[in-house]
Amino acid sequence: MTATILPPKPSQAATSTPSGVRVRIRARRLALYTVLVSVTGLFLGPFGWLVLSGLKTQGELAASPVHWLPDAFQWHNFADAFDQIDFLGYARNSLVIALIYATLVTLSSAWVGFGFARLDAPGKKVLFGVLLGSMMLPQMVTLLPTYLIFAKLGMVNTYWPWVLWGLSAAPYLVFLFRQFFAGMPRELEEAAIVDGCGYTSIFWRIFLPQSWPVLSASFIIAFTWTWGDYIAPQLLLSTDRTTLAVAVMTAYVNEGGTPVPELQAAASVMYVVPILLIFLVAQRGFVAGMSTSGLK
Amino acid sequence: MTVDQLPSRTDRFAAGRARATGARRSRASMTARRHRAFYLFTSPWIIGFLLLTVTPMAYALWLSFTTFDGISPNWKYVGLGNYRELLNDPVTWDSLGRAGLFAVTSVPLSILAGLGLAVLVNRPLKARGLFRTLLYLPAVVPPVGAGLAFKLLFDQNSGASNGVLTFFGIDAVPWLADPYARYVLLMTVLWAAGNVMIISLAGLQDVPKELHEAARIDGASSWRTFRSITVPLLSPVLLFQTVTGMIASVQTIMPLLLAPLGDTSGITTVPQSNYLYMMHVFAQYFALGRYGYASALLWVLFVLILVVTGLIFKFTSGAVFYNVDPEAKKK
Repeated sequence: MTATILPPKPSQAATSTPSGVRVRIRARRLALYTVLVSVTGLFLGPFGWLVLSGLKTQGELAASPVHWLPDAFQWHNFADAFDQIDFLGYARNSLVIALIYATLVTLSSAWVGFGFARLDAPGKKVLFGVLLGSMMLPQMVTLLPTYLIFAKLGMVNTYWPWVLWGLSAAPYLVFLFRQFFAGMPRELEEAAIVDGCGYTSIFWRIFLPQSWPVLSASFIIAFTWTWGDYIAPQLLLSTDRTTLAVAVMTAYVNEGGTPVPELQAAASVMYVVPILLIFLVAQRGFVAGMSTSGLK
Repeated sequence: MTVDQLPSRTDRFAAGRARATGARRSRASMTARRHRAFYLFTSPWIIGFLLLTVTPMAYALWLSFTTFDGISPNWKYVGLGNYRELLNDPVTWDSLGRAGLFAVTSVPLSILAGLGLAVLVNRPLKARGLFRTLLYLPAVVPPVGAGLAFKLLFDQNSGASNGVLTFFGIDAVPWLADPYARYVLLMTVLWAAGNVMIISLAGLQDVPKELHEAARIDGASSWRTFRSITVPLLSPVLLFQTVTGMIASVQTIMPLLLAPLGDTSGITTVPQSNYLYMMHVFAQYFALGRYGYASALLWVLFVLILVVTGLIFKFTSGAVFYNVDPEAKKK
């Protein structure tokens, strides 16, 4: 691994013939590609194995030693995974929760981010410090007591928790919007203020329409968080209202309670692929969002 | 706005003065407006933070002094009883030790791997965009998918990993059981090293090219350039990765997802070597319903994280370079 970290040595052209240099460069290039291709293969392996497992029979999946490739691709596993549980119902629950949360949290975080980027008041520094600090707060520590409180308020098995979480903005996304808004020219709002525009309309009419890249990045990030979240729906929702993440993990068992791995594998492929597609389509914004918030 | 209300005077001096006070007044009211607007805009987060973060934390603190279990009406206040109990509970110490070991191995390893990948795909290569995408892809796979993929990959009978081992004549290894489960857990973290890669890559691209050229002209070796230029310039990114990685490692639920039946009640099936502190908390919370005791465990974890984060910031303050060129800060 260390070898791959090292950038290549500048070629010592003075001592070698030009053709020797070319050969060495070519050899190094070949080695580099070999490393890169094998590392990439290693990284894709687990997902490939998941897909392959979804195409095997139960017998092949239990075979020892390993049965590398299925004798025949069991495409019907994917259809069976739909029938064994209410796959579409759970997918709809996931979709609804993720849409609710992603929409609300994107708007609220943009709203709050505008405040931190463009306005000031006594206490702003402290509040911003708290905001950054709360990013470091382990969510699991707050989630468990939050669950008890939601249970007390009768909000367990409803989607209200996601509405409330959505309305209260996410520090990470607030920071993302703050960075973006802070980089927009001052003249924008000065002109609007001279025209008698309030900050609310400045936000809605001037800043928000220009923020499509961040808005979509934030929406996608929030959507994938919620789609991928296992523990909050597991705690807060009952088996029939829960999300696909929980269903894929727990519902593929037969009457005796033993798991049905080939259906589980097929189902989890269908659960993961939408997220991969969203990422591939929206890659640029997604990556820009991830790296901005990771940096400054 | 306020300018309209100015009395119209013919005296130029008075008018000028009036305009000045008017401007001052309008500036003052503008400032007040900005202040009010600031709190209007930040209020969703402030209120949300108070209700959904501070309140649960305070509630947990209160619970941690009681024997509350959610069912029995006879719960009582026990002061520091829960804290005394957790200090004397060997499971607390063992699971905390495992969580610490997991953090100090998984965080540096995934940073190293991510940094290595970043350097690798930062080179002028054909199709490097494709390589970046493919290497990052696993980091987008939701935990449930990742957990299941690794469970199948490391299945003792039918997993590909044992298939490879037996091919080389090595006995199959019970990867998902003790004491090997910890390595599988570690690999799930490394699998998502694309996260570190992407963030480091953004940092690498910010490193001014002139610095590298200057170093090359001065005859610095590439390793030297990497160590003395790239790493220091990336140090804020690496620090950020260390802190967030540590916090993520403490609250990972991956051990649950790798256990035979991924379910919070399946907490009992998590093998010893993956029984991290958070699993101990889960067991107390859900399997045993000991909310009071579990809340005490959570508060201890919270304080520990604060202390460790503080220490990391303190000890790296001299080693982290926030920016070389203050002018270049705003891009």
